[in-house]
Amino acid sequence: MTQEGYNPRILGFFCHWCCYAAADSAGVSRYQYPPNVRVIRVMCTGRIDVRFILEAFKCGADGVFTGG
Amino acid sequence: MAEAARQALEDIGVDPERMELEWASAAEGPRFVELITRCVNSIKEKGPLGTESNEAEEDVKRKLEAAVEAASASKVRTSFGMLAKKFHKDGDYSPEAIKEAVAAKFTPAFRKERIAQEIKLLLKKGPMSITKLAKIVGSTKAELEKIVAPLIKKGILKEEKKGLALA
Repeated sequence: MTQEGYNPRILGFFCHWCCYAAADSAGVSRYQYPPNVRVIRVMCTGRIDVRFILEAFKCGADGVFTGG
Repeated sequence: MAEAARQALEDIGVDPERMELEWASAAEGPRFVELITRCVNSIKEKGPLGTESNEAEEDVKRKLEAAVEAASASKVRTSFGMLAKKFHKDGDYSPEAIKEAVAAKFTPAFRKERIAQEIKLLLKKGPMSITKLAKIVGSTKAELEKIVAPLIKKGILKEEKKGLALA
């Protein structure tokens, strides 16, 4: 059930070497994608703890995307 | 970590598919675009947080607050660390083995701690009966009594006529 005009807020944990670089490369290549992801760059996804995921939802995220 | 997070989300009534773990190397810009688009569309379909559980916003918020506290508790973090030890020893990193081990070791510890934290949050408003507490946190009277007993012993909670209360 999609709600009209609903814009989800997604928190993204991107690893500096892979996913963040991929996002950077997508930007440079002018690929378009939805702007709903707020990015937090981490040096490695191994740094991410269960707490971060739960805290993200507590702070109002509708979804969490972890990119390694 | 991802499996532990998913099982923790399931315990508090949040759709575990709201959390995604994907891999995109630095050379895979187009794949990244695909992954993000897919993720955003999937969350759009699910709706805002709390849609799936039909609970009031304040209940969802309270459960999440209890969950964050639980994930920070030393007993829970120790069980998480022991899991890593176990996988290293057994050498079995298959998804099924991970799911099973997390369900056996991490999730019960997390659930216990989450319920204890949620009870403390609920009792801030005043004393409440165990039966009512059990209903709100999604547990049974028997399970609650086991969780609450050590807290009463330590003097964190106390029993009153109306039910349980913060000490």
